[in-house]
Amino acid sequence: MSAPAPPIAVINVSRWYGNIVAVNDISFALGPGITGLLGPNGAGKSTMLHMLSGFLQPSAGELRVFGESAWENPGMYRRIGLVPEREAVYPFLTGYEFVLLAAQLQRLPNPEEAARQAIAMVELEDAAGRATGGYSKGMKQRVKIAAALVHDPEILLLDEPFNGADPRQRLQMMAMLREMAARGRTILFSSHILEEVERLAEEVLVIVAGRLAASGDFREIRKLMTDRPHTFNVRSSDNRALAAALVADPSVYGVELQDGLLQVRTGEFAAFTLAIPGVARQAGVSIYELRPTDESLESVFSYLVKR
Amino acid sequence: MNGTLIRLTARQLLGQKRTVLLLLFGLVPVLIAVLYRVAGNDEPQRWAASALNARLIIGTFLPLAALVFGTAALGSEFEDGTAVYILSKPIPRRVIVLSKLLVSWLATAGVVLAATVVATIIALWGEPRDGILVGFALAVVAGALVYCALFMWLSVLTSRALIVGLLYVFIWEGVITRLFAGVRFFSVRQYTLGIADTVVDVPARVFNPRLGEMEAVALATITTALTVYLAVRRLRRWEIGEAS
Repeated sequence: MSAPAPPIAVINVSRWYGNIVAVNDISFALGPGITGLLGPNGAGKSTMLHMLSGFLQPSAGELRVFGESAWENPGMYRRIGLVPEREAVYPFLTGYEFVLLAAQLQRLPNPEEAARQAIAMVELEDAAGRATGGYSKGMKQRVKIAAALVHDPEILLLDEPFNGADPRQRLQMMAMLREMAARGRTILFSSHILEEVERLAEEVLVIVAGRLAASGDFREIRKLMTDRPHTFNVRSSDNRALAAALVADPSVYGVELQDGLLQVRTGEFAAFTLAIPGVARQAGVSIYELRPTDESLESVFSYLVKR
Repeated sequence: MNGTLIRLTARQLLGQKRTVLLLLFGLVPVLIAVLYRVAGNDEPQRWAASALNARLIIGTFLPLAALVFGTAALGSEFEDGTAVYILSKPIPRRVIVLSKLLVSWLATAGVVLAATVVATIIALWGEPRDGILVGFALAVVAGALVYCALFMWLSVLTSRALIVGLLYVFIWEGVITRLFAGVRFFSVRQYTLGIADTVVDVPARVFNPRLGEMEAVALATITTALTVYLAVRRLRRWEIGEAS
């Protein structure tokens, strides 16, 4: 007997708009659990989610949801819930009516009860009777999530779901998603914020400039990100003495003196930051400033791509 | 058809400011008919058929109302991004188009029919109607369906459906159809006038549409079926970011 198809299978998928390549030859498969789709803005995360949700046709490759093509397949929405990034909701509907609409369009046997349960899951009972036009960004986000999970989908796709949510709402949403994942649901959410992905996702897909830069267990990828080459600028009471002392440290693989500044290159971020105070103390040098040169998320991503 | 979609679309369309504006616009033919009667002009039948109904109501009011409702029924959801909530449900695209079309058709026909009936009754007060009232009422209901189907297809096709629709109504139907007789086969206005002629029983001097009755009915049916088919096909392959 053949194995059941994975909930999501992406095989050499590309998508381009004219001459612009938004997604470039990406392959991965996802099973139950929470996966974070991480990447800077404009990396191709939304394009990938739109293709998975059947709202964009891949220019090349195959994209399968439970073994079926996601494109031109409205039947798959019985098993999928989608939370789009755009804030728009029907402003004239109350929160309850909005979720009820989703339940009715899903043809659930008891849509009223399903809508009430979904609203309770996102803790929006108090505002459920108010028109969504007056909702805050965080409330709109929650009512969209309630509408997406009203039919208890096997796959939940969320595009930047924590935008606009306050820290308490964020924690509540994360707990709810973890609970869904524990019940065997496949959850894929996109984010450009490393900490969000770190807190929630077990698996991660890193997309940069349309390419899959890394994928797998988050801890492994975090290690890759941390252990990439780092450069620190140091200002101290005696740069020359400190450089001589640091060269002997195993975490350092290069030093350079220029214009009153000591530049130190290390391949082990954590080991270096732990070692440098002791090294400086032993050399009798005072450190005035220690600054990593480029810690932006973009630089981390571009390192992963070049790796 | 889907009752949930029908109720949603009705709330969407009827809650818009432009619906109120259209209702106010519907008073214009009525006021003009009152002025006409007060002024006591000759040939009320000819005026009621050719000027009031053919030119003002079917030539302007009907296509504008259909343009507003036909493009808004689906197009406004593409514009504000809410279309995704309907399209991400296991509903055949055919059902979405037909449900939206039904509401936009009823809204258009309702608004224009009310103006047509009241204005025509006033214009022909004390005069023989000779099928003018019933003929144009029927034509408005039929024409509303054809126009709404056409404009709904446009709204799925392009984010500039309103502009394209206005160009169609005022340039294509208003100018080009008058200049070139052969173009009448591609004019919903001419189909609508031809349908009116199936009931209107007056001499050609009073009302003389450019299309024969059967031609008009056949072309109106084909156009409606074709534009609905094209809208459904387009919606099946709708991509996010399109028409938005």
